[in-house]
Amino acid sequence: MITVTDARKTYGDFVALDDVSLEIPAGSLTALLGPSGSGKSTLLRSIAGLEDLDGGNVRIDGEDVTHQPPQHRGIGFVFQHYAAFKHMTVRDNVAFGLTIRRRPKAEVARKVDDLLEIVGLDGFQHRYPAQLSGGQRQRMALARALAVDPQVLLLDEPFGALDAKVRADLRRWLRRLHDEVHVTTVLVTHDQEEALDVADRIAVLNKGRIEQVGDPVSLYERPENDFVMSFLGAVSRLGDRLVRPHDIVLERDHATAASRQAAEGAVGPLVAARVDRVVRLGFEVRIELTADDGERFVAQVTRAEAERRRYTAGEDVVAWALRSEEPVGAGPVA
Amino acid sequence: MRTSRRATLALRTLALVYLVGLLAVPIVVILWRTFGEGLGPFLASVRTPAAVSALNLSLLIVAITVPLNVVFGVVTAIALARWRVPFRGVVQAVVDLPFAVSPIVVGVSLIMLWGVGGWFGGLEQSTGIKVIFGLPGMVIATVFVTLPFVVREVEPVLHEIGTEQEQAAATLGASGWQTFWRITLPAIRWGLTYGVVLTVARALGEFGAVIMVSSGFPGVSQTLTLLVHSRYIDDHNTYGAYTAATLLMGLALLTLLGMTLLDRKRTHR
Ligand SMILES: Nc1ncnc2c1ncn2[C@@H]1O[C@H](COP(=O)(O)OP(=O)(O)O)[C@@H](O)[C@H]1O
Ligand SMILES: [Mg+2]
Repeated sequence: MITVTDARKTYGDFVALDDVSLEIPAGSLTALLGPSGSGKSTLLRSIAGLEDLDGGNVRIDGEDVTHQPPQHRGIGFVFQHYAAFKHMTVRDNVAFGLTIRRRPKAEVARKVDDLLEIVGLDGFQHRYPAQLSGGQRQRMALARALAVDPQVLLLDEPFGALDAKVRADLRRWLRRLHDEVHVTTVLVTHDQEEALDVADRIAVLNKGRIEQVGDPVSLYERPENDFVMSFLGAVSRLGDRLVRPHDIVLERDHATAASRQAAEGAVGPLVAARVDRVVRLGFEVRIELTADDGERFVAQVTRAEAERRRYTAGEDVVAWALRSEEPVGAGPVA
Repeated sequence: MRTSRRATLALRTLALVYLVGLLAVPIVVILWRTFGEGLGPFLASVRTPAAVSALNLSLLIVAITVPLNVVFGVVTAIALARWRVPFRGVVQAVVDLPFAVSPIVVGVSLIMLWGVGGWFGGLEQSTGIKVIFGLPGMVIATVFVTLPFVVREVEPVLHEIGTEQEQAAATLGASGWQTFWRITLPAIRWGLTYGVVLTVARALGEFGAVIMVSSGFPGVSQTLTLLVHSRYIDDHNTYGAYTAATLLMGLALLTLLGMTLLDRKRTHR
């Protein structure tokens, strides 16, 4: 388990971490999610000891490591740009931590070969990093970090430099690996899809603070504020509320809308709007609308629903949402 | 705009004439004068006690200068690239100073510093170590003029490789020393090699600073460059000057060859 308490880090006047407290359960795969510059890397690097905190402390499995150098924290760290040791072969890269620990040669060889098999780099032992693709390099970096049996595995946007297909493959693969190895893992990402896909817990960061922590479903379904809501998925503004586009229901008139809303037990505004465009996106249909007050928004319905209702451009409708929390802060969406 | 064929031809000819006139002709003249009378006289001329001593002294100075500059250069480059150095701009300027200052000025200032009546002039009286007009003076002068080479070759490489590999090594348990030997040094080795090659070439060829602080006795305190000079100016031994120059050139060529071979090895990896 990792416990961060009141972590504070400033660069001059700029506050990168604003008294952040966070608990990361043992064995979990936790994502630190937030926009660029929100302090994710700073938090992760503080856990690793690559950054010194100005205040607060970090505990790993109960031990206060705040003033320990990275060497003594029992961590594995994976960098966005791999940080491969360019002058060493794949085998020597992965063996590095064990060689430093002066483990017997036979043990090192066995362990390295095992790990290379796990990460799917069997047979690449004698290649140099320059002879690997980005995805292979990152898997090598993962094997290298895992070789020293870290108590926690820290990954800073590990798939950020890879193309979309490789990225999706690798994160599934990481999830499976985590299910097998169970090492406490913290993954930094700015990609909400990635966080929702692999993590079992997500901490959303914004401007050096933690906005909300929870499992993916509760964060998506019950965001505590505008920021989390809009960062975790598409949003539409309906009256004074932010709602998910797929929660919007469109009726032909006010009375029907009101009765259906009451029947569903939903609350929130009924918004008169005009359909601007209907876009078919395979399984789903996106309907672009303009509300009476001029606000443009998007509703998303299933193809079956769209075919039943036959929405057409220029049509007047009344929109309401299946789910909307209390009216959220009126400030602009970040 | 496309240059016409005639213009291209003219430019090429000009470049060739320039190179030939400036480089090839003098070298050919020296070689021709040296070997014009056959190999025997050449060998005799470079085997005189004075010539052998000059060669040894030049190589000795190189052998002392290179390790000093490697250690100083690598430490300075790491300090500039990795640590928080106060007055970084001043340090950078000091490192570049030997590039800017004429070697003869270096020689003069060394005399003022270490010579009789200089700040450190007392050293000779108290310990008997002769700095000016002795080997230490020549070494100090050579170290000074070759100071920037290693720093200037290694520092940009350190910036280029960044700090992530070193941080990765730290997270894997490597101490600062282990990281230096296993990660940083292998990463900068080519920059360091170039720095050393340049240092060797310059140390062999240094004249202005060394002539000021050497007593200049043939067979005792003459380097190869001083030998060329004294044979020509003092002994009016033009042929001897040419043979010594050829020897010097041979050493430079060897250095260059070594660098080319290393370079080839690098690009083939
Ligand atoms: N060494 C530094 N000096 C000054 N500002 C920094 C430094 N490192 C990070 N920052 C600032 O701290 C903020 C958070 O950085 P970071 O943790 O890297 O963000 P993220 O990883 O979420 O994109 C950024 O605004 C960044 O500009
Ligand atoms: Mg980052």
